[in-house]
This record gives sequence, structure tokens and C-alpha cells, in this order.
Amino acid sequence: MEEINCIGLCCPQPIIKIAKAIANVSPGDSLILLADDPLILLDLRAWARMTGNEVTPISETRFKVTRRNQNV
Amino acid sequence: MAHAISNFQLESPLHPKAREALADAIDQGWSDPGKLSNQNAKARILRNQALDSIAEQLAVTPSELEIIGEPLLGNYFAIAGLLHAEDTLIYSAVDRKEIFAIAQSHRKTIELPVTNMGQIAPEDFPNSAATPDSVFALQVANGETGTIQRIEELIAISGSARIACDYSSCGPRIALPSRWESAYFDAKSWQGPEGIGIIAIAEAAAWANPLPHIGAARTPQSVSLPLILAAAVALEVWHEEEKNESPRLRSLSEKLRQEISATVADCDIAGDLNSSLPHITSLSFLYVQGEELLRRLDAVGIAVDSGSACTAENLQPSHVLAAMGVLTHGNIRITLHHGVSEKEVNELIAAITKAVAELRQ
Repeated sequence: MEEINCIGLCCPQPIIKIAKAIANVSPGDSLILLADDPLILLDLRAWARMTGNEVTPISETRFKVTRRNQNV
Repeated sequence: MAHAISNFQLESPLHPKAREALADAIDQGWSDPGKLSNQNAKARILRNQALDSIAEQLAVTPSELEIIGEPLLGNYFAIAGLLHAEDTLIYSAVDRKEIFAIAQSHRKTIELPVTNMGQIAPEDFPNSAATPDSVFALQVANGETGTIQRIEELIAISGSARIACDYSSCGPRIALPSRWESAYFDAKSWQGPEGIGIIAIAEAAAWANPLPHIGAARTPQSVSLPLILAAAVALEVWHEEEKNESPRLRSLSEKLRQEISATVADCDIAGDLNSSLPHITSLSFLYVQGEELLRRLDAVGIAVDSGSACTAENLQPSHVLAAMGVLTHGNIRITLHHGVSEKEVNELIAAITKAVAELRQ
């Protein structure tokens, strides 16, 4: 699974990067986001709700992001 | 009202009528109303007239009012005056930071979550806390999102818990509930002066001054008399204006929400206007940094607030947005004050649309 490394980046940069990356995977496929901004989970969840995608925290800095929306 | 810049921040200038009253009051209300000479009697009469007027506007009796000169202590007086060491303090995740500070120093506390609309679900109020041994700090409306709580349902489900209402953001836009023990107001919410906090303590409430004190005074009484007089005048004229301004501002807020939603993709609006104050809107834009958006708007003469972490001194986002699950980056908060024109709101909408588009490039 492809990893998007956003360690050291603050919001909204990790969200911008994951949004660009998710557009290049097929619906149902997933990416791993690495991010250590303490606010990342708050904004990742809001992004997922707004764009119709799915986020599953794996650890504090590792998140599985699954494309659910056909029209990302 | 003419604006040098388009001000959509929470703070607004003192109401012009209150400004006139303040200038007069500085000339006439300088002496100590607690002393005995004619000068003091005059000050005492002015003070009593102001308290009568404030009480009438807030629908309480003058004897239920206490005025303090440090508004940030208002919620402390309202809550701590009811709260005993063994009581449980119930508050919500979207309360003001002062409430969190009170909770941190108290032993038994319950923090209630809110829905994604910013409201406490009445079913989340624990039955075990619906007793006289509890104090419920009830924020009537939120100053960041405008969300109004389901006040009467919450009061009903809170049983015999004592109610300390926080009216600091909404002022008398919302009437006092059917049952309350204390309520805190801030004169700024009606374009009154900075530095005037008003605590209403219900006649029947078992409330006691929580500060170390000597004598019978319930609060420190160190508040400026001219500011009390200005607050009373501001409240009277603001209340009269509000009858027409409230529906007009609601309609402008509706336009703002609809047009931004229609023209700017990926915008997260906090709460629903139907359950919100008419003049507050919180917007968060995906892929945009709040500070950059705020600066772009400032550059074209538009002042707004932001709840994003990058605009906060402690680099923490608004705890209100976080509790609601609303996007915390790219946030701006818009307050529509009395007198704002439709033209200014149109200019605001156009400026936001342009700035967000440019920042996303």
C-alpha cells in the first residue's frame, strides 16, 4: 500500500497531499498517511466526512485512508 | 452605521448612544454612591436608575442583579456561588474556557459531549446527576458557532440540578429559561462597554459569594459607575433595535450561508441556522490555511475572526470546532453587527470566494 509521508507538516498540508493522492487510486483502494500534526485526526475525519471517503487510525501517526467516493 | 472597515469580528464599537451616555456619566457619576453627601446621593440615584433599567431589559428584579468589573469572572461567580465541594459540576465540551478552568479545580465533574450540530443531546445528561447535589453550567448559545442549546429540554431532564446559565454570547436575544438559579451576561453582547459583567441571581437561589469576603456584599462592588450607566443605555437602545435587526441579520446570515455553499466547494459550516443565533456564522474551507485566509480578507478591508490553530496564540484549534467534529483548518468566524448593510455582506461573500479560490491554486 502506498505511503504518503507528511511527518513534520502542519494542517492543511497533509490533507492537501492525501486529497491529491487519493484521486489517483481506484474506489475501494487505500493509502497509508503518515502524519504527526497533533490535529491531524480531527481534520482527517472532517475531510473524510466532507468528501465521502474513509479514515481508519492505525496508530497516532499512521492512518489508513480508503477511497469511497467515485468523484474525489 | 458607517464602518471605516467592514467589521465582522466579535467585538464591535460601543453603541453611539452609550458613548454619549458614557461622556455624560463621567461628568455626573464620578462620586462614590456609597457615601452620604449630595454628590454621592446623585451618583446613587444614577446607579439605581441604571440597575432598574438593566433589570427590566433582562426580565429580572433589580435585587437579583450584581454587576462586576471583571467579566471573565462572571461565570465563576455564577457557578461557584452555587457549587459546594461535594457537588457535581456538569458542563459541556463547547463551554467557554473559564468553565473548563472551574472544572479543573473541582473534584466531581461531568463533561457532556455535543452532537455535530453543537448541541447537547438531552439523553446524554446522566440521570444520576439530576439531583440537588449537582450544578449544571448551561451555555445558552455558543459565541463561536452561534448554536443555541435545547434549553428547556435540558432543564427538564436535569431534574433538580441547579442551573447556572451562560448568556455571555447571546445576551437577552434569548429569554431566561423557565428555571434558573444564576445567569451571567456580558455588556459587550449588546454593544455595551468592555469591563461590565452582569450576574443575575434568582431570589430563591442558595447562592453565596465564592470569594473571601467581609460584610454582606455579594460581589466586590468595585465596578465603574459610568460604565454601568453606559451599559444600561446601550442595552435599552440595542434591545429596541434588535426587534428589527434580528430578522434582518438572520436573512443576511442565510444569504451568506447559501451563497458560500453554492459558490465555494468543500466548505464546512458549523451548525444549522435554524438552531443558531441570527448573527454568527462559522465557515471552514478544506485545503486552506485559516491565517492566510484571514490576512487576505484583512488586506481588502474585511476583519473576521478565526478558530484555526494557526491563528491562536497557543496553536490549538477552537475546542468548539473540535468537539463538533467540524474542520478546524481554514476557519473563519463572521459576526453580523447591528447596522451591517447587505452591500457589505455581498462584498464579504465576494472576497471570501476570491480569496479561497486563490489560496487553493
